Amino acid sequence: MRALSSLLLLVALPVALSVKTQDFKTCSQASFCRRGRALASRAQENVSSWKSPYSVDADSLAISSDQALFTARVKSSLYPDIKFGLDVRVHDDGVVRVRLDEIDGLRKRYDEAASWALVAEPKISQDIKWTVGKNEVRATHGKKKDVEVIVAFEPLKVTLLRGGKEQVVLNGRGLLHMEHFRTKLAAQPSDIPEEALDAEDAQTVLSANNPRSWFEGDSEDGYWDEQWLSWTDSKPKGPESLSLDITFPNHGHVYGIPQHATSLSLRTTTGESPYYTDPYRLYNADTFEYLADSTMSLYGSIPLMHAHSADSTVAVFNAVGSETWIDIAHPTPKSTETQWISESGILDVFIIPGPTPEAVFEQYARLTGAQALPADWSLGYHQCRWNYVNSDDVRQVQAKFDEEDIPVDVFWLDIEYAEEHKYFIWDKKNFPDPLDMVNDVSANARKMVVIIDPHLKRTSSYPVYQEAVDNGVLVKTKDGNEYEGWCWSGSSAWVDFFNPTSWDWWKGLFKTYPIEGKFTWVDSTEDVHIWNDMNEPAIFNGPEISMPRDNIHHGGWEHRDVHNINGMLFSNLTSQAVMARSDPPKRPFVLTRSFYAGSQRFGAMWTGDNLGSWEHMAVGIKMVLANSLSGFAFSGSDVGGFFGNPEPEMLVRWYQVGAFSPFFRAHAHIDTKRREPYLLDEPYKSIVKDILRLRYSMLPIWYTTFREASVRGIPVVRPHYVVIPHDEKGFAIDDQFWVGGSGLLVKPVTEKGVTETTVYLPAEDQVYYDYFTHQAYRSAPKGKNITVPAALHQVPLFIRGGSILPTRERPRRSSPLMKKDPFTLRVALDKSGNARGELYLDDGVTYNHREGQIVWREFKASKAGKGIKLSSHDLVRAKPTDAVDGVALASYNPTNDFAKSIAGVRVEKVVVLGLEKKPTSVKVAGGKEVTFEFIPGVAASGKKEGVSSVLIIKDPAKYLCRFRKCICTLVFACPSALFSFLHLTHFRFLVQNKFTDEIGSFSVPTGVGK
Amino acid sequence: MVPWVLLLLPLSAFSAVDKTHGVPPSLLASYVPTKDGSQEIWTCIDGSKVIPWSAVNDDYCDCPDGSDEPGTGACPNTRFYCRNEGHIGAFIPSSRVRDGLCEPACCDGSDEEPGVCPNKCKEIGEAYRVKQAAERKLRKTGSKIRSSYIAFAQKEKKRIEGEIASLENEIVSREKEVARLKDIADHAESLSATALEQKKQSPLYQSLLAHHRALKSLQCEHKKHLEREKSLGDILDRLRTGYNPNYQDMAVLEAVRGWEFHAGLPHINDVKKDDEPSTEDESETGKDEEEELEPGMWTPQQLEHQLDELLDQDYESLLLEHDKHVGATEHSDSLLYNLSAYVPEPLLPQFEAFQNALVSWLELLGIVKPSKSDAADDSRAKKAYNDADHSLKLTRDELTKAKEDLSRLFDSNWYGKDGEWKKLDGTCLEKDTGDYTYEVCLFDEARQKPNKGGSTFSLGRFAHWNNGPGVEVGSPEYYSKQFYIHGTKCWNGPQRSVVLELECGTENALHTIAELEKCEYKITGTTPALCLPPDEPEKPREEL
Repeated sequence: MRALSSLLLLVALPVALSVKTQDFKTCSQASFCRRGRALASRAQENVSSWKSPYSVDADSLAISSDQALFTARVKSSLYPDIKFGLDVRVHDDGVVRVRLDEIDGLRKRYDEAASWALVAEPKISQDIKWTVGKNEVRATHGKKKDVEVIVAFEPLKVTLLRGGKEQVVLNGRGLLHMEHFRTKLAAQPSDIPEEALDAEDAQTVLSANNPRSWFEGDSEDGYWDEQWLSWTDSKPKGPESLSLDITFPNHGHVYGIPQHATSLSLRTTTGESPYYTDPYRLYNADTFEYLADSTMSLYGSIPLMHAHSADSTVAVFNAVGSETWIDIAHPTPKSTETQWISESGILDVFIIPGPTPEAVFEQYARLTGAQALPADWSLGYHQCRWNYVNSDDVRQVQAKFDEEDIPVDVFWLDIEYAEEHKYFIWDKKNFPDPLDMVNDVSANARKMVVIIDPHLKRTSSYPVYQEAVDNGVLVKTKDGNEYEGWCWSGSSAWVDFFNPTSWDWWKGLFKTYPIEGKFTWVDSTEDVHIWNDMNEPAIFNGPEISMPRDNIHHGGWEHRDVHNINGMLFSNLTSQAVMARSDPPKRPFVLTRSFYAGSQRFGAMWTGDNLGSWEHMAVGIKMVLANSLSGFAFSGSDVGGFFGNPEPEMLVRWYQVGAFSPFFRAHAHIDTKRREPYLLDEPYKSIVKDILRLRYSMLPIWYTTFREASVRGIPVVRPHYVVIPHDEKGFAIDDQFWVGGSGLLVKPVTEKGVTETTVYLPAEDQVYYDYFTHQAYRSAPKGKNITVPAALHQVPLFIRGGSILPTRERPRRSSPLMKKDPFTLRVALDKSGNARGELYLDDGVTYNHREGQIVWREFKASKAGKGIKLSSHDLVRAKPTDAVDGVALASYNPTNDFAKSIAGVRVEKVVVLGLEKKPTSVKVAGGKEVTFEFIPGVAASGKKEGVSSVLIIKDPAKYLCRFRKCICTLVFACPSALFSFLHLTHFRFLVQNKFTDEIGSFSVPTGVGK
Repeated sequence: MVPWVLLLLPLSAFSAVDKTHGVPPSLLASYVPTKDGSQEIWTCIDGSKVIPWSAVNDDYCDCPDGSDEPGTGACPNTRFYCRNEGHIGAFIPSSRVRDGLCEPACCDGSDEEPGVCPNKCKEIGEAYRVKQAAERKLRKTGSKIRSSYIAFAQKEKKRIEGEIASLENEIVSREKEVARLKDIADHAESLSATALEQKKQSPLYQSLLAHHRALKSLQCEHKKHLEREKSLGDILDRLRTGYNPNYQDMAVLEAVRGWEFHAGLPHINDVKKDDEPSTEDESETGKDEEEELEPGMWTPQQLEHQLDELLDQDYESLLLEHDKHVGATEHSDSLLYNLSAYVPEPLLPQFEAFQNALVSWLELLGIVKPSKSDAADDSRAKKAYNDADHSLKLTRDELTKAKEDLSRLFDSNWYGKDGEWKKLDGTCLEKDTGDYTYEVCLFDEARQKPNKGGSTFSLGRFAHWNNGPGVEVGSPEYYSKQFYIHGTKCWNGPQRSVVLELECGTENALHTIAELEKCEYKITGTTPALCLPPDEPEKPREEL
C-alpha cells in the first residue's frame, strides 16, 4: 500500500492547471482604469505643458484652533462650479493625513473606508503650526524638526520633506482627478468608437467643443453602464473614479500593496519597458489557480505602499475600499512614480514619514492596529485537508500522528463537514458525534478549526439563513431584493456585515450553549476555532466570481464602494464572536482568505489556493513577506500546494518553507492524494518529522517575535531591507528572510534537485553560525554571498552573531504539552563576545497578559573581566509601556500568578558558540561550579571560517535551586528559576574527575578574551 | 518570598527520581552503578560514554543513545516503561513522559510526576480482562464458523477433484469424436474445393463479399459511435451527479445544464425551497419517441441482434447452395432457412420476420431461387467438426478452470492455506449508507449502487490481499485487507478502488464506508474467516 501511494505521489501535477485569465478584468477592460491610464498617457505626451486643474482656494483656508489641522476649498479649473473640500492634518507621530472630497455634490462619495481600517481615531499632533504663505501652507514637525509638509496651492500639491529632501509627493505629476457626480444627459453619445477603448492608442484630440478634453479625454468612456462578459454593471451613480499620483523622488524600491503573486520589491508596470503590462490590481477575488508571477488581483487588498532607500523609509496608506489599480514606474533607479486609480470613494491618504522601516511599521500599526497576539497553540502545525471525511477519519489522522510521534496542534475541517454546505450544521451521516470527536482531539491538548463561509444556503430549514432573513441583514440587489448567488451551497445569500444589526446576531451564533429562541452552535466547544473562506466574496456565477458592483449594502452604499473591505468585516465579526463565546474571553483563532488594511487585528491569513508547483512554493515566501510588511504578520501559504500532488521532494521543501512561516498549515484539494507527513516513505518522513520538531523547538522564539509584532507592528518575518536598511544589495532580496529580531536568518530551498545554495550575508562585519553544524561564516562590510550545503534534509538556517535564542528541545505531541518543559539557550557570540536575546511568555490563551500576567526577559552575554557573564533582565520592568499589546501596564508584579505557574521551568542547557578558548570553569551565581563540555573550534572574533567552538553547560539552573542562599538571591532578582542570573566567570582550568582527563593536558590556565 | 522556595521544591525533587524509573525489566540489570574511586559512575548502554551515576534520571540527557534518562523524557526518541502492576507493562515514547497528560497506556500513572495521575491499573486491568474474555468468546464462536468454512473447502476439494476426473474422461471421448468428424470434413472438403474455387469467381459472390465487408465496417463504425455516445453520456451523467461547484467553473455548470436539456433530465442541483413541491420526481424521462422507419428498414433492435447473424453467414455454403438452386423450383431449406435453429428462442419472432424479408428480397433479386436443396455436405461436415472441436475446447477450459479452482483452494494468495475463504467466494455483502448501497462480492467485484436511481458504478474487481511491505503472505494481517481495483473511472479522478478491511466477527458484514480520497474507498467489515481459534497463539504484537 505504501509503495503504491508513493508511486502515486510521484505523479506530477497536470501541466494544464492555470488561472482562467479571461474571468478577470485587465485594466483595459475596466472603464475607470482605462480613463485613469489615458489621463496619465496624455500627461506624459504633454509633459511640458501639463498642469493639474486642481488648485487650493487660498482664501478658504481655515486652521483649527489646535493648529494641527487645516481645511480649504479646492477647485478644478475644468468644472468651476464643482466644490471640493481639502482637509490636512498631522498626527502626533508625524503621519500626515490628506483628505479630499466633493462637497455639496449631486451625491455623496463613499467616505467610510478609513473608519473600518483604523483601529481608533488617530491623535492629532499638539505641536504643529501651519504657516500660511502666498503660494502654499507648510508645517514642520518631527523630533529634530526636520520633517516638513508643504501644501502648494496652484496646482494642488502635497509634499513631505525630510532634511529638505522630497520624500512623498501627491499630485506632483498632475494626475489627481476626482470625477464629480453628474447627471446623465440623454444626448450624450453612448457609442464609443472601438479605438477609443484602448488607452494605449487613445489620441488626445482637443475638441473645439470640449475644452476639457485635454485632461479628461474626448469621450465619456464607460461613464454610465458597463458590460463585461454576460454581466451588466448598471452604474446608477455614473462616473466617480479617483486618480492620484504619488511620487517618491528619492526612493528606488517600493513594497507592499498585497496581495499579488510577485516579487517583494515591486516591478514596473509603466514607463520605459515595464516588467508587467497591467497595473497592480486590488480587487479581492477568488482567483482560481492563480499565476505565480502576475499583477492580477488575489484574495485580499491592503492599499499600503512602502518606499525605501538606504537612508529613508516612508509609506503611504490610501484608505480606499473600491477596486484600485496601481501603476509603478522608476524614472530613474533611485526614484519611483506611482499612480493610483480607484473606482469610487474619497481621497483619504495617510503619508507615513518613517524614517526607518521600524518607524513605518509602528506608525502604520498606530493607524490600523497591530497584529493580534495569537493564541500560542496557533503557532504550531496545522493539519488540513479538503476533507477529513468523517469523525473517525479525524480520529485516525490524529492516531497516525501520535503513532509516528509527529507533533501537530490543530486538525481542520473543510466544507464537507456541513450538511449541504449549511455551515454550523454537521453532516450527521459522517459526523454523528461532533462533540465527542472534538473532545477526543482536545484530550491531547489539540484544537480543531472548522470552516464557516459567508454564503448562506437559501432554504428556510436552515436556521442561520432564516434568522438572517428575519433580521433583514442580507445583501440586496440594486432593486432592493434579496441578492441570490451561486456558491458551494447552491443558491445562496450573503450577510451584510456593514449592517450593525447583523453584529450581535452573528456573535450569538457561536455560543456553545443553547439560547431560547435562536440558533446557537451547541455542537461545538471552545476548542473549535474558525476558518473564514470565500469572503471576497466568492460567488461562482457573479462577475469576476464575485458580487455585482451595483448590489446594495447597509446605508445604501454600493458593493463597488466597499468591495475590498467586505471580507474583513466577516473575519472581524467572526473573531469577536469566537472571543465572546468564552467568559472571560479567550484569544480567537480565525483564518481569513480575504482581507483589508486592519484585518491583522482579527487573526491570520493565508495566500489562498496555490498550486503544488515549485514556482508557487517560491512566490509564497514573497507573498508572506509582502503581507507581513503590510501589517498582516500572521500569514502563510498552504504547505504542499492546494492543487496537485507534490512529489516527496517538493513536499519536504515545502515543509521547510512552512516551518519558517508565521502561519504553518498543510492543506490539500479534495482531488489530491493524501499527503499527511506520516504517509511519506523514508527518508522523507523522518526529514519532515525533524522539520516539525524544529518548528516546535523554536516556538518560544516565534511567540516572542509575535509579542513584538502585536505591540509595535514590526513583522514576524522580515526581509533584508527591514533588518539592514542601509544595505542596498539586500533591497530586492526576497527568497531569504529573518525570524523577527531573533537573529535567525533562513533561506528555504524552493527548487528541485538542489544540494547547495547561495545565501547573502548582509553588509556588516559579523559572524554567522549555521544553526545545525555551527559552521561559522563571515559577512563583509559590502555584503557577501556564501555557498552553503542544502541537501534535502538541510534548511540553510543561520544565527547572526550576537543573538541568544531560547528553545525547547523536547519533542511533544502538541505545543500546550511543552509548557512545563525546560529551555535551552543558544548564545551566539558576536565578534566582540557579546550577545542578547529575548523571551516572552504568558498563558498563551487568555487576555491576562494585559493585566501583567507575563514573563518577558532579556538575556545578555557580555564580557566580564576575563570571562563572559550571562545574565537575565526583566524587560517588563524596564519597559512597562511596551510590554503588551493594547495597554500600558500600570502595575506589574514580577511574581505574578503566571510567573509563579512556571516557576518549575528551568534552563536545562546553555550552548555558547564562538568562545575563543576552553573555559577553566563555569560558575553560577553563588559561585557553584557547573558541569560543562567544550568542543574546540573557530572563535567569534577573528577571521577564520570553520566549525565554531561549542560550550555546552549542563543544567545551570538546577544547581541554582539546591542552595538556599542562591535561591534567595534569585528570588530577589527575578521571579523564577528560569530567569536567574548565570555567570560564566573566572575560567580556571579544571581537572576534577576522569571525564575531563583527556582534555586535561592543557597545562596553562587560559581565559576567554584578553 | 517563602512560597517561592516551596514552589521550587518539586524541581529539586526531580533529581530524586528513582534511577530505574522507566526501565523495562529486561534492562534492570544494566542500571547499577560502578565504583570509580570514591565516585559512583555509570556507562551508557551503548558504551559510548561514562557519566556519574547521579546523572542517571536527572532530567538532563547525557548519553548519546539517550539511555541515561529512562524515566524523565529528557532524551528524545527513547522509550519509557511503565510497570502497570495489576495490568500489563507498557512502553510509551519519551515525548509523552511528564507532558502533563496521563497516558492511557500507563495506567499506573508513572509517566507523570507523583500525584498527578491516579493509579488505575486495577480497574483498567479488570476491564481489559473482561474485554479479552469477550474477544475470546467472539473468536471462539467465529472460529467454529471458520472451521465449517474449512470443512466446506475440503468438500469443495472432493467435488472439484470429481469434476476434474469426469472432465478428463469427457475430454478423451470428445477428442475421439473430433478426430472422427475431422476425417469426414476433410474428405468432403477435398471433393468440393476445386469446384468451389471456380464458383468463387462469380461476380455475384464477389459482390456479396464486398457487401459483407462494407456492412461489417459499417457495423463496426456504428458500434464505435454507440459506445462513444454511451461513454459521453456516462461522462456527462457522472459530471451531472458528481460535479462539485468546487470547480467554481460556470463552464462546468453550463455543460451540466446543456446535457440535462439534451437528455431531458431535471437539473440535479436545482435549489428548492422546502415548501416547494419537488419537480425532480415527477419528470418523466421516457419520452424517446420512435422514429418513423421506411418499410423494410431494420429497427435499432434488429440491427443490434440480427446483424451479427447476417454477417456470420457461411457464404461458401450459400454459394454451393445457390448453384444448386439456380433453376430449381422447390423451397430451400438451406442454412439461410434453417438459421432459425440457431436463433435463441426469445428472438425467434423478429428473426422470422427478418428472414422472410431477406428471403423475399433475395428471391426478388434472383439470387436465391425459392427452392430446396439437399447439399453443402462438405460445409455441414465442417460445421459439425467445428462444433465438436469447440465443445472440446470448452470442456478443456472447464478443466483448466477446475484445476485452477483446486490450486487456489489452498493457496495462501487465494482462499488461504486451509481454504477458509473459499466459502465466501462470490458472497455479496451490502451496506446502505443512505444515498448509496455499497456491495462487495468477495473475490469478485465491489459496486456502488445509488438508492435514488442513477447508474451503478464498479468500484473495482478483486486484485489481491494485503501485500504491503513487511506483511507476510498467509498471516492474519495479510488476510485483513482485500484490494479491489480498476473500477469505473471518475470523470476528474482515478479509477475507483476499494480497500476492504476485515476483522474477526461472527457475521460476514460490511460496517463502514469512507471515501478518504476521491474515488478511493475504505470499507470495513467482519468475517468469521478471520477468527483464528483462541488457543492458536497469534504472533505477539509488539507494544509500542
